Amino acid sequence: MRKWTWAALAVVLLGACARQGGDGAAGADQAATADSDAVRPPTDPYPSIYEAYPSQTVLISGATVLTGTGERIDEGAVLLEDGKIAAVGAGDAIQAPEGATVIDGAGKWVTPGVIDIHSHLGDYPSPQTESTSDGNEIVSPNTAYVWAEHSVWPQDAGFTRALAGGVTSLLILPGSANLFGGRSVTLKNVPARTVQGMKFPGAPYGLKMACGENPKRVYGDRGGPDTRMGNFAGYRAAWIEAAAYKKKWDDYWKDYDEWAQGDGEDKDAPEAPTRDLKLETLAGVLSGDILVHMHCYRGDEMVLVLDLAEEFGYEVVAFHHATEAYKVADYLAENGVCAAVWADWWGFKLEAYDTVTENAALVHAQPNGCAVIHSDSAIGIQRLNQEAAKAMAAGRRIGVDIEPKDAIAWITANPAKAMGILDRTGTLEAGKMADVVVWNRNPFSVYAKAEKVYIDGALMYDRADPARSPRMDFEIGQPGNDFTGGAGQ
Amino acid sequence: MTANMQKKILAAGAAALFAISTAAAQQTTAIMNGAVHTVTNGVIENGDVIIEDGRIVQVGADLSPPAGATVVDATGKVVTPGIFAPISTIGIEEIGLDAEANDSSPERGAGFPLGAALDAVDAYRPMSTLIPVNRAGGVTRALSAPAPGDSIFAGRAAVIDLSGRPNSVTKARAAQIVVLNYSGAARAGDTRMGSWAFVRQYLDEARAYAANPDDYARRPRDDRFTLYDLEALGPVVAGNQPLMAYVYGESDLRNLIRLKNEYRLRVIAVGASEGWRAAASLAAANIPVIVDPLANLPAQFEDLRSTLENTARLHAAGVEIAFINPQEFGAHNLRLLTQQAGNAVAEGLPYDAAIAALTLNPARMFGLDAQFGSLEPGKIADVVIWDGDPLEVTTRPEAVFIDGVRQGLGNRQQMLMQRYRDLSRGDLPHAYRGGEN
Repeated sequence: MRKWTWAALAVVLLGACARQGGDGAAGADQAATADSDAVRPPTDPYPSIYEAYPSQTVLISGATVLTGTGERIDEGAVLLEDGKIAAVGAGDAIQAPEGATVIDGAGKWVTPGVIDIHSHLGDYPSPQTESTSDGNEIVSPNTAYVWAEHSVWPQDAGFTRALAGGVTSLLILPGSANLFGGRSVTLKNVPARTVQGMKFPGAPYGLKMACGENPKRVYGDRGGPDTRMGNFAGYRAAWIEAAAYKKKWDDYWKDYDEWAQGDGEDKDAPEAPTRDLKLETLAGVLSGDILVHMHCYRGDEMVLVLDLAEEFGYEVVAFHHATEAYKVADYLAENGVCAAVWADWWGFKLEAYDTVTENAALVHAQPNGCAVIHSDSAIGIQRLNQEAAKAMAAGRRIGVDIEPKDAIAWITANPAKAMGILDRTGTLEAGKMADVVVWNRNPFSVYAKAEKVYIDGALMYDRADPARSPRMDFEIGQPGNDFTGGAGQ
Repeated sequence: MTANMQKKILAAGAAALFAISTAAAQQTTAIMNGAVHTVTNGVIENGDVIIEDGRIVQVGADLSPPAGATVVDATGKVVTPGIFAPISTIGIEEIGLDAEANDSSPERGAGFPLGAALDAVDAYRPMSTLIPVNRAGGVTRALSAPAPGDSIFAGRAAVIDLSGRPNSVTKARAAQIVVLNYSGAARAGDTRMGSWAFVRQYLDEARAYAANPDDYARRPRDDRFTLYDLEALGPVVAGNQPLMAYVYGESDLRNLIRLKNEYRLRVIAVGASEGWRAAASLAAANIPVIVDPLANLPAQFEDLRSTLENTARLHAAGVEIAFINPQEFGAHNLRLLTQQAGNAVAEGLPYDAAIAALTLNPARMFGLDAQFGSLEPGKIADVVIWDGDPLEVTTRPEAVFIDGVRQGLGNRQQMLMQRYRDLSRGDLPHAYRGGEN
């Protein structure tokens, strides 16, 4: 078992702790025990080995820039240097450093890299066969012990298609059959031989949970839950167990420190509790280290879940699908929870019957409202800009004041916030990762195409250059593939 | 309606049913000064469309509204024929995963014996909430088609209008649906050898039955196929009713071409994500294709060569195309067909071809192009006025006419939105607000 110290992870958790406000204090307390030799289960046993690819100094000048922070700069400029965003501002205010590649941005739009908060790429890859279907561990209502990263097939062609749609980071979630689906993983959309090579360095883990129809449909004749009340009983029982597990470890660490500080001569070191992967993840939620992503369609259920979270002392960062978020948008905003929604999908099940196309706009219109447009689809992820455009247009028609400069946050800054990576990416601000998309025109259009996609300053996709267009192993050598579209195929 | 027009309608075929409401007969509408996409005669900037008695009577520039006409100013707007969805489960599926609210297919594995005989008209519900939702997106006609159960034949599809009135069937038994992609193979011993043998066997039996129904019916039960299914396939083997085949891969498309020639069928290919690989052959065989222009993943082994360029390549080869909605068998978002078309344009399909694929081409596929699909005098007045480029995702219809009658654009989703726009507690609960029909 690999030893791990809080000091090393403190940096990693910073984003999550800062985002979760009061929970930061808990992290600080634990960091105080950094020098203890007590047994500590590894929190990062499959660490990211992602490394940015070589980047140039690039100045994109004369473009319409949407920063993701609510600002629009006409004839603006973005300077990328050393893999970071070095400057953002008016075109005439930013000079190209010596040796910089200058891109004429006339007519083009520049945005932060697109972030999808709800994807199953790699876990449900193409081709979709029995043998590749690795996204939903449908064996028990509580599979908090599974980690989505262990199913990610890095050769999923869906990643390359998403890249051509401007996606630079994405959250891969386990499926929604179970009350507790398992851990999510945040990836940078850079092809690698291993999932570790794609993992977003330092991104906090998430826990996928599910409301409503799916768990009861799947487990109704398999021992339950068979009802929504059964769902809640299942959540509560698990959190009670998790709290006891967490206390066992907290007590152990406390006892250990007391033992270590005493003379220690006359008794053995306290024995560490036995690890339980399921409870370890749930305890991580209660510690504020793991973020809860809750699949939930109905508004009334979302508000019940907010009370559930209050009851056990954790936070939900986002309700996913959330077709009825507009019915409870005030509760969501008051609790600082994002609603990750589609623009217009509906009716595939009864809990998705009450969709309105103004959903995102009505969530956005609340003070402190946080709307996210997600895909949950290997096709949808390729055009999140169009989905945001539809949702924006629907809101504008009923008089909600939203413009591209605001709505771009639905697919950039807001998902980054809910995923706990907003301090690193999600907006065009100096010092952040140079995750940037250059569009051939206003991206809020069906005709818009991502022309260039930079990830950490490296040009990972160029629509005009086949050499900057990844191909996955599965696709090469398949006879008859004479398309010319590159990664977007 | 003139006698001449009536003759024309009657000539269109006894199976076709055009129930123009009495309301339409009393309405005269002049849509003035829009960008009129006629589909058959180009775009008339600042054009006018005059509608009388449910039909288009004049299309041109600088027309005068007839006396008593309701004038609709379309200045700055775009006018097109109504969107014609070429395949869907509209009216037979309300909630996908709710068996009681989904009549679109027999349950898989339940051993329900009929396939080809199933008729969408029997399950069609004009009161479905999907109809006003999609109508508000500019969809005026659609094929309502069964989805397959255990049989590879799903049954008979009907063309309907989206007025929601009790009799909204435009053409019953407009097509027979068959699945001959992997999903069909999975229903026939899990091999394409099974599905293609099965379809041939059925067509042979249908021919035998059609040649002499009484003789065939006298065969012992275990020596004949279900008569209802064979009867339903009669118009297919006679070449009068199109066989709509779900087929994705190149090899299956080439099989389909052979089948068409061998049995002299009318065939429409649905899916065809590798269509570009057989484009010239499809064009030569005169097989129209209904494609998903967004299909670009190697989703299954059968269509690893899916590409965003498929639609444009098929069109360039001379294949008649229309668009499948993003949910394939579904119906909830037929309103997204315009987005499908816009994406096809962004990938190289000529704009006019995309408009035709949304309107005239589907009408032609079901033998209804004399009545629908373009803005021409004599055609039934299914017309949409858009607040901008109809293919753009930020555009919406401002007015929708079906049979010349201006339709309400209100729908359940809009009412829900209005009810919950204001979340304040108010004097009474939300259940007392909005939502009045």
